[in-house]
Amino acid sequence: MMKSTFVKNIAFALLTILLMSQNPVLALDLKALAYPPLNEVVIPEIEEVKLENGMRLYLLEDKTLPLIQASVRIHGGSYLDPADKTGLADFCGSLLRTGGTAKFKSDELDEILESIGGSAETSMDIIAGGLNLSMLSSYKELAVEIMAEILQRPQFEEAKFEQLMVAAKAGISRRNDNPGQIGEREFDKLIYGKESPYARHTEYKTIAAISRDDLKAFHSRVFRPENVQMAVWGDFDRKAMLELIKKHFDGWEKGKEALPPFPEVDYKFDSRTSYVDLPEVSQSNVYIGHLGGRLTDADHPHRIVMNNILGVGFGSRLFKQVRSKAGLAYSVYGVFTANLSYPGVFYNYVSTKTESTVKAIRMIIDEIRRIQSEEPTAEELKLGKDRYLNTFVFNFDSKSKIIERLVYYDFFGLPKDFLNQQKQMVEKTSAADVSAAARKYLKPEALRLLVVGAVKNLDEPLANLKNGEPEALDITIPE
Amino acid sequence: MRTYRALIALFLAFLIVIPAHGKESKGFDFSLLEKTIFEHNLENGLKIIVLPRHDAPVVSLVTWVDVGGADDPKEYSGLAHMLEHMAFKGTPEIGSRDPEKEPGLMAEEDRTFDRLRRERLKGRLADQQKLEALEKQMEKAIADAYAVIDPNAFSNILQSEGGSGLNAFTSRDQTAYIISMPSNKLELWMAMESERFFRPLLREMYREREVVVEERRMTVENRPMGKLVEEFLSAAFKAHPYGNPLIGHMSDIKNYSREATLKFFQKYYTPSNMTIALVGDVKPETVVSMAEKYWGRIQKRPAPARVATIEPTQQGERRVNLKDRAQPAMMIGWHIPDATHEDILALYAMVDILGQGRTSRLYRRMVRDEKVAVSVSSHAGWPGNKYPSLAVVFNYPAPGRTNAECEKIIYEEIEKLKNQLLSNEDLDKVKARAMAGFIRGLSSNMGMAQQLATYQQLWGDWRQLFRELDRINRITPEDVQRVARRYFTDGNRTVACLETVVEEAKAQKESEK
Repeated sequence: MMKSTFVKNIAFALLTILLMSQNPVLALDLKALAYPPLNEVVIPEIEEVKLENGMRLYLLEDKTLPLIQASVRIHGGSYLDPADKTGLADFCGSLLRTGGTAKFKSDELDEILESIGGSAETSMDIIAGGLNLSMLSSYKELAVEIMAEILQRPQFEEAKFEQLMVAAKAGISRRNDNPGQIGEREFDKLIYGKESPYARHTEYKTIAAISRDDLKAFHSRVFRPENVQMAVWGDFDRKAMLELIKKHFDGWEKGKEALPPFPEVDYKFDSRTSYVDLPEVSQSNVYIGHLGGRLTDADHPHRIVMNNILGVGFGSRLFKQVRSKAGLAYSVYGVFTANLSYPGVFYNYVSTKTESTVKAIRMIIDEIRRIQSEEPTAEELKLGKDRYLNTFVFNFDSKSKIIERLVYYDFFGLPKDFLNQQKQMVEKTSAADVSAAARKYLKPEALRLLVVGAVKNLDEPLANLKNGEPEALDITIPE
Repeated sequence: MRTYRALIALFLAFLIVIPAHGKESKGFDFSLLEKTIFEHNLENGLKIIVLPRHDAPVVSLVTWVDVGGADDPKEYSGLAHMLEHMAFKGTPEIGSRDPEKEPGLMAEEDRTFDRLRRERLKGRLADQQKLEALEKQMEKAIADAYAVIDPNAFSNILQSEGGSGLNAFTSRDQTAYIISMPSNKLELWMAMESERFFRPLLREMYREREVVVEERRMTVENRPMGKLVEEFLSAAFKAHPYGNPLIGHMSDIKNYSREATLKFFQKYYTPSNMTIALVGDVKPETVVSMAEKYWGRIQKRPAPARVATIEPTQQGERRVNLKDRAQPAMMIGWHIPDATHEDILALYAMVDILGQGRTSRLYRRMVRDEKVAVSVSSHAGWPGNKYPSLAVVFNYPAPGRTNAECEKIIYEEIEKLKNQLLSNEDLDKVKARAMAGFIRGLSSNMGMAQQLATYQQLWGDWRQLFRELDRINRITPEDVQRVARRYFTDGNRTVACLETVVEEAKAQKESEK
């Protein structure tokens, strides 16, 4: 019997002998476990209302805790920034909350929120803005009023604008302090183009060009009810909440223009090798990839399985080869990302000591080729699918996940059962589907590669990779 | 992925700061919640805490081991963290493709490493040829052992069965293993989690050290703040192990052996030194019967002793200056007692008023008004809570401003707290924030599981989580003043500054302007 031979054998391994001999070995037979059926996922009913001015509301009563929570999505973002005022949307996103409103001066709002343990935070990213609020439900009237003030009547106070300018300058001055931060920023530029709204970033010059009038103009253009989706959930009466929101938002005037569509990405598949030389570091940050895809691509579910097999998680090929087998990295992964608004990125990342950089790059490129040429084994396919399917229930384990997904799908006009459709396709994905997706979407012959590290001390010159003439990137911060 | 573990460990202390709340809080009765929490001790000493919640068919599961970086043995700094990595390597059956051959191959690794290690430790007198030969032999032994394993089998089983957020972290006080599962897979977790601590097999030991070396490069050596934290703590603690690097010194990591790691495991991973906490869609009676079946297999062993070393009273300010290309940053720390001390909540209140949020003293003066800093904050109970620790201020100066300017203002604001009594309104704010934060914390299964386990570990009783409100509500302005005077003294202080090295060419250019 395998077990008893095994026990005898291990007795020779002096180090484990103690553990093994103290106890009778009670064998673990995982295959014999029988799981009860999973209790049903109860998806709460969310009331969707459209106000006359076009603002969309999503309401959910949830009495579990004495809280009111809100998540507001605002269509519009830094993709609208004029190139010479890059940073405008970001400034607006920050000052909405911190720059005071018509009714509440900035200090007053800080005081009110912090004295009741409430929080309201705003921000704007590339394609959308957000307001997230959490307060004890006893303050629900105040919560709605604060949201109305922040969204409709921000003041961009002069002093707060100046304070933000200092922080923005500090952000620029500190942006080359960490190699990882350099890599992420420069790789985005390598994929989307350095002028692209999807990769560009602030400079001293672009923020200096931003005025408070620009902020007010940006706000009045973007912050219009038809661009706003407001989700509110928590301990309240749904009808009363609707009336309360109407009271504060019904009078908000519609905008005069529709915002322009998200810009297209102009991408040509080619091979490029770039590097940032940091002579003092002992570890390289490496990024390898090309343009990715869209969530609505018909075979995206096949790519989900492909991602799990290639580079996401402990069981993936990249993790196994580069980390477990070769011990070259703590952090290594690869993923083909897909957005709704603009194409995502296929990117592979590894951080490894300077002297094993090119070796690790070769391993990753080999794995990208192998996922195209070598069908996943039955075991790999099962793991890749099960990891998605068996964790599916976690898409529904909190109210905020459920309601925020609804908001996002609704904006892009996806069907409510989109997630379930994806799941059904993942269930049916075959090994051949994974290979087909890999061949269709991955282009190992046209990779863009970035190394941030001590380039002169690498194990081999980057030119040996024959992935285009290595080009140095200058990351000096322009004055 | 366990990518952010070091970061999580670093800030764990902040997550669990100031939970407080009250029965009087707007009609929400915490005592009802407290009554739904169930606890049970196995005969071997394992503590089980269950909070049943049936909103969604999922459950968050944590294993809390009362061992951390502070328990690392001499010459083996970072071993608690290394063991956390090794706990994912499986058991004799889970992770092996050839259980008959594997022990022999592992023994060969151990023998070779022992010879290699002894030769290396001769330093300059080592025989280079012998070293090279042994290194080759070691590579071969590692490759041979690797050939018979099923890499990552342990994680793969849990993840393919729906495990979400599989992770672990090591702090100076504890080692935690966390995961959420669909609730019908509870038994799988019980079986697997107990198995890895019942019969761990430390395979891939020698390769995994290289992974940890890369982790150290990533989180410490190539990250300016990582370096600063390490220098700061080693200056602040001259005796207590809180001053040692959590991830270990490079030379120590390269010196770990399987034998040392296993010894450490046997000493600290005893059932009585562990707590499991489960929050979600489970029934306490099911949990207990499964725990008896699986965790009950582990034999009772004596509990390890706590760290004996007590940090001596500091005799004068200590200061570290680190030169780096990065922009300036500063941390200042004062020694304070451990989390169970009667002064601790007054200290929490003090650092809250001093440096947490947009209405705090330091933010208002330094960021809002004088614009000398872009970020400043204060915390109590870092880098640990189990032993006497530090209250700290973290500061990033604004462009063109200096650490020195900021430091001066920070001391001025602390002096005000020593000299002027707070108003009751100031304290009411602290209390209200703590309560709201506590209620928010209740919404997350994983958050609650970790809180319950943390309080169980630090106090020996999870109920203390529900008692902290009373403690914080009793804080008076006089208490805050007293702790400010007692702990925030010059001689009890350590300051670490990161100052920017200006390259010569650039300095030249600047001076020509």
